[in-house]
Amino acid sequence: MTPRLSTLPLPLILVASLCCSRPGFGDDAVSPADALRVLSAKCFACHGPDESQRKGDLRLDREADARAVRTSGVAIVSGDPAASLIIQRIESTDPDIVMPPPDAPHGLSDAEKQLLRRWVQQGAVWSGHWSFQPLLRPQPAGNPGDGQAIDQFVQAHHAALGLKLSPPATPHKLVRRLFLDAIGLPPTPAEADAFAAAPDKAAAWEKLIDEVLARPEFGEHWARMWLDLARYADTKGYEKDLGRTVWPWRDWLVQALNNDTPLDQLTREMLAGDLLPNATPEQQLATAFHRQTMSNDEGGTDDEEFRIVAVKDRVDTTLQVWMGLTVGCAKCHSHKYDPISQHDYYSLFAIWNQTQDTDRYDDAPTLEVPGGLVEQQQLTAARETVQQLQAKLAAAEESESAADPRWIAPEVIDTAADDGAVLQARPDSSVLVTGKSPPENVYILRLQLPQGQWTAIRLQAFADAAVGGPGVGRNPADPNFVLSEIELALETSTTPQSLRLHQPRADFEQAGWPVTAALDGDLKTGWAVSPRQRENHAAIFSFTEPLQTAAPAVLRVTLRQHYGNSLTLRRFRLSLTSEPAAEITPQPASPEVRSLTEKLAEAVRQRDALQAKRPKVPVMVALSADRQRETRLHRRGNFLDPGETVTAGLPAAFVPSTNRPSSAAEINSSPPTRLDAANWLMAPDNPLTARVWANRIWARVFGLGIVETEEDFGLLGSPPSHPQLLDWLACEYRDRGWSLKQLLRQIFLSRVYQQDSATTPQLLEADPRTAWLSRSPRYRLSAEVLRDQTLAASGLLSRKKGGPPVMPPQPDGLWRSTYNGQKWVNAEGEDRFRRALYTYLKRTTPYPAFTTFDGGSGEVCQIRRIRTNTPLQALVSLNDPVNLEAAGALALRMQAAGTGGIEFGLRQTLIRPAAPAEQQPLISLQRDVATQLTSSPEQAAALLQAARIQPPPDVTDAEMAAWVVTASAILNLDEFLTRN
Amino acid sequence: MHPLSEYCQLQTRRHLLQTAGLGIGSMAVQSLLAADSSTSAATSPTSAAPPLPFLAPRAKRVIYLHMAGSPSQLELFEHKPALRKLHLQDCPPSFLEGKRFAFIRGVPKILAGQFNFRQYGQSGQWISELLPHFAGVSDRACVIRTMQTDQFNHAPSQLFIHTGSPRLGNPSLGAWTAWGLGTANQNLPAFVVLLSGGKTPDAGKSLWGSGFLPSVHQGVNCRTDGDPVLYLGDPGGMDRSMRRRMLDAIAEMNAAELARSGDPETQTRIAQYELAFRMQAAVPEVMDLSREPKHILDMYGAQPGYVSPAESADDPRVLYRGDDPTFANNCLLARRLVESGVRFVQLYDWGWDHHGSSPGESIDETLPIKCQAADRAMAALIRDLEQRGLLDETLIVWGGEFGRTPMMQNNVRTELKKGFVGRDHHPHAFTMWLAGGGIRGGLAWGQTDEFGYYPIENPVSVRDLQATILHLLGLDPYRFSYLYQGLENRLIGPTDEGRILQQILA
Repeated sequence: MTPRLSTLPLPLILVASLCCSRPGFGDDAVSPADALRVLSAKCFACHGPDESQRKGDLRLDREADARAVRTSGVAIVSGDPAASLIIQRIESTDPDIVMPPPDAPHGLSDAEKQLLRRWVQQGAVWSGHWSFQPLLRPQPAGNPGDGQAIDQFVQAHHAALGLKLSPPATPHKLVRRLFLDAIGLPPTPAEADAFAAAPDKAAAWEKLIDEVLARPEFGEHWARMWLDLARYADTKGYEKDLGRTVWPWRDWLVQALNNDTPLDQLTREMLAGDLLPNATPEQQLATAFHRQTMSNDEGGTDDEEFRIVAVKDRVDTTLQVWMGLTVGCAKCHSHKYDPISQHDYYSLFAIWNQTQDTDRYDDAPTLEVPGGLVEQQQLTAARETVQQLQAKLAAAEESESAADPRWIAPEVIDTAADDGAVLQARPDSSVLVTGKSPPENVYILRLQLPQGQWTAIRLQAFADAAVGGPGVGRNPADPNFVLSEIELALETSTTPQSLRLHQPRADFEQAGWPVTAALDGDLKTGWAVSPRQRENHAAIFSFTEPLQTAAPAVLRVTLRQHYGNSLTLRRFRLSLTSEPAAEITPQPASPEVRSLTEKLAEAVRQRDALQAKRPKVPVMVALSADRQRETRLHRRGNFLDPGETVTAGLPAAFVPSTNRPSSAAEINSSPPTRLDAANWLMAPDNPLTARVWANRIWARVFGLGIVETEEDFGLLGSPPSHPQLLDWLACEYRDRGWSLKQLLRQIFLSRVYQQDSATTPQLLEADPRTAWLSRSPRYRLSAEVLRDQTLAASGLLSRKKGGPPVMPPQPDGLWRSTYNGQKWVNAEGEDRFRRALYTYLKRTTPYPAFTTFDGGSGEVCQIRRIRTNTPLQALVSLNDPVNLEAAGALALRMQAAGTGGIEFGLRQTLIRPAAPAEQQPLISLQRDVATQLTSSPEQAAALLQAARIQPPPDVTDAEMAAWVVTASAILNLDEFLTRN
Repeated sequence: MHPLSEYCQLQTRRHLLQTAGLGIGSMAVQSLLAADSSTSAATSPTSAAPPLPFLAPRAKRVIYLHMAGSPSQLELFEHKPALRKLHLQDCPPSFLEGKRFAFIRGVPKILAGQFNFRQYGQSGQWISELLPHFAGVSDRACVIRTMQTDQFNHAPSQLFIHTGSPRLGNPSLGAWTAWGLGTANQNLPAFVVLLSGGKTPDAGKSLWGSGFLPSVHQGVNCRTDGDPVLYLGDPGGMDRSMRRRMLDAIAEMNAAELARSGDPETQTRIAQYELAFRMQAAVPEVMDLSREPKHILDMYGAQPGYVSPAESADDPRVLYRGDDPTFANNCLLARRLVESGVRFVQLYDWGWDHHGSSPGESIDETLPIKCQAADRAMAALIRDLEQRGLLDETLIVWGGEFGRTPMMQNNVRTELKKGFVGRDHHPHAFTMWLAGGGIRGGLAWGQTDEFGYYPIENPVSVRDLQATILHLLGLDPYRFSYLYQGLENRLIGPTDEGRILQQILA
């Protein structure tokens, strides 16, 4: 029975008129909000903000327009329905005149027509849309303690609806509820017992709340909400759907939530961490929030097209997550209901259009972040090893050269090389080649040759890892060289005198590439050293005629290397000798040098492997000032059809005057950045952000938002069931430093939260969806909590935190993406039993057990999940191998508990004590199945195999398998699957 | 009484209200709640349903055969002798200006149709020699030669044709249909997906996703290897009687919980476990091809129990064989499924992307193999439905996500080489065919220019196709919508440009 509203005190008229369970409107006063709702739903499509669709040049979304005098009259005349054009038109029976037109998708019901008439009659008091109004803190009566304000606001509605709070839930039920809501895991039965036994329940409850909120599992649970919002996934999406490393962002998020980092700080870091002064690596990492957008690696795609898709996704997601506004439609045309024009949309787009990412295959730009602690230590050690070996090798080579005084390395006067390669003489007279690395090259060196008689020249090639090695050549993939030809000439005052060489010999020659080929005059042949390209080598060439230099002379050495593929020398040394040439052969490197070279090569390999494993996370990096993109409006949303140029800006209707940049000069000099946008979202006078977020947290706890359409706070969204409660929560959140834990604490301390969840037919009729909170909501747990709870109850759950995603068992053959060789390999050991948060999420093939329970794919921002109740869910709970394994683990513990096995199983899962009579169906089940299996040992063995357990000694397969079946039944109980 | 399924009815009041709340706005919620509160037993869901704009349906169910990758219309349905005359000459510049191609670079060469064409049946449809069986039933089909899309990459284009948006997040045609019409057999899902060709279609599972509709309406991928529905099979050692015994114990425990909690959701859960139990029997039965007589198996070229090596290969294309029965099996399964009451059966056959750049993707060698594996079965599907009297009310849709260019693809090879003849993606004109429920057979709809490049008569957009399919199912495409994020979302998109193709309707 609905009370007559006119008899209620004034505040409750407002409350009740915003409610949605009231049939009809009677003769009551019409609230401005109700009138606005009818106008927006039925009229704004043609008479609202979208200028392109506006008919008859009439706007009804703005008061001044609606009251303006027009040639045909006035649309709305306060107190005079007969004179108001809109009333004339909606009440007309002439199909050419009536509004909305007969072919419009939504006509007006008689009740709505009457409502508008009465509204005009009563003065047509104008109302702005509720959620766009300034957020003012509602004052509860008296001086309520924590949580009691919530109770007041809820009970205020109860009075009007003839409802009241239900009695408190039992202590065990309450503790289970708190744990599941706060950390997504059940308590142990002992934890619930301790609370049940506490003499001072109120104090114990408060203490328990604080203790639970401080657990590290808190961040893991609440991160899941964020991952839905962030469209988080471990792959890039679209056709190939290749892997992407983003888990370090998830770990950062978990940590931030555990630290209770304020929402405004989280927001600034996620949206614009790179723009913060002296941004830390963590702040840069935070920006991966908006790099979760998908990338299209399909062959033949236009990267710019998908870059723009990603930028639009960022705009849509930002407005959606923080302000509950749906702006997607404004890509193509001005919003039909909410004050977001197409120009506004592209002004926002311009803010997000200034980052470096361009839908590239490598997801650049990325931030290299430390892996886990062990990996970090390994990498540091590997780097140190490389450095030590480099130093040792350099010393060994030096002493080797010094040990052979027969060779003199002349001073290098100058050098030349092709195409940007740079030859640089070092103190030890070796020459290091850096710079560009063209496929072929010719090195020319001029050496200051002292006076003397010279019999031979030696070329040493070094493989050391000091710079870019190890390897004698410049191509890191194949560090070989091919010396096509060596030529010597003595510079004279006239033409250079070329010197002939013969008797080449080398310490090592690659098959088919002998050192003689370096003197054969054929550029297609040459000397090379594979497969020993990671060691030092040397070749000696004798002068055909010993060279006499009476005075210091200049020797020109030309090293021609024409194989291609950058098989050119990397560091080498030229030296000459006066010893009888025939007696000198190139010495292989000393055992010490060779051994050090090998060790260094291995150390470098290890270091590089560790380095390569360091996660590289895609992040936001702003374009520099000189590379800013021009933004143009996309006509009809088509980026190939650019319209007017748009400058960055924030939507005009939502920029409170106090929140504009401090001076006009500032706005003129620089358009708003992502950081400005983040500050705007979190500004205390932004009317939406605090409401949207408080509603979101409320909905995660109570299963239903105060505003049910969490994703839409605009004119077409549902109105709040408890406007004052919502505003109070929003103020609490905002004014208590945006602390999620404080907000949850308030909620948990309320009597509303602590009510029992049992219902009656009468209650169901009066409050069918628990929207009025006449009892505690009872709803099926989320996909992730179901998994975690099952593993926890069975004792299998791994508490390991963070790190790369894992692959718990899923059916074979699901991953069949095109052009993608990645495989799902069922994890063994601990990684089989990690929390759901850590399960690998492939966008095109999400983990099937999760999607069956309404989990998302991470393809687009998911504001809330619509809960379903389907037979496929029963199949997962019954037959998913993960659940069977959990049943096996639970069964072992139940069996070990002896005659109390059933009771034990129920305690582990339902947490509360179960009366003996209640256990009877399960006791019978266990007994009957054991009997059946005794005569069918193969079946028993197969069941044990499915559960991956072996019975303890002296327990038969049949008995043990019966425990498995019984444990599986317990894991399928409605009470277990439900938050109640 | 709405033709809404029992399956839908099993959803709880809560769920229905959530659906309705999103579907029709808060005003309607009020009236629904008012109506509901007058019914006494809260635990028995009423027949409340989304207020859908039902029309008289011409088709009650759909079998949609999607050839993922997009077969060449110029080798199958579009007989263009002019291409022969210009074979290997430079493409006219008018075809290239302002166009975006996936792979073609510079000036490509015209490529003649690689196979012979002939006219068939009373209607005289031009059909290629690659489709001899389909040619025999061409009088049943309406061949649309002027399909157009605005997407030229696989994943976006597949999404566009199946969900009405080239981006992710929208429900597929099958999910819309399941939401609108439910299933006629509560023991089977309303929307079933069957895959062949060794890979998931390029856009992945989103092609049969429910988008913003409740996830219960997403397609269920029934597999022909392993469990036909994921987790359908009981664990080893669990026989039917033991499962029954276990479910009885669960039901007894849940009944006690229902007595304690009074929550109708618990009642629903009890019912869903019962339904799951029945599905465990019904799904394997309908998926069991060995129940078909030999002459039917032969008609399709089906082979019960066959598991193709291509289905698990890293690159299945090199393992394709013309006598591979996987697609034929799926066609026969589709018939069995719709016969059993499934509303929408979606087949995806991967491997029709014939660029000619790598082995196993050529017009000259791979396309004939794919056609051989598909032709007999798709023709048999039409004949089989017809002989059972089901064709009149079953709509069959066949096609890819776009067409292929009249030019040869030139980014890897500029000369013709056997086994490497290919064409690039072509969104401007391609061919699809429809048959059965409400479709005028023997009709060639639309005409393209002499190169098959552009439509010159009766172009058909993806929106037109979607509007027409919904219309045939009795769902008014302009009013069939779901309120989400402030928009009346429709399959045909926000504008009314999609038209119902009245001329192709019987």
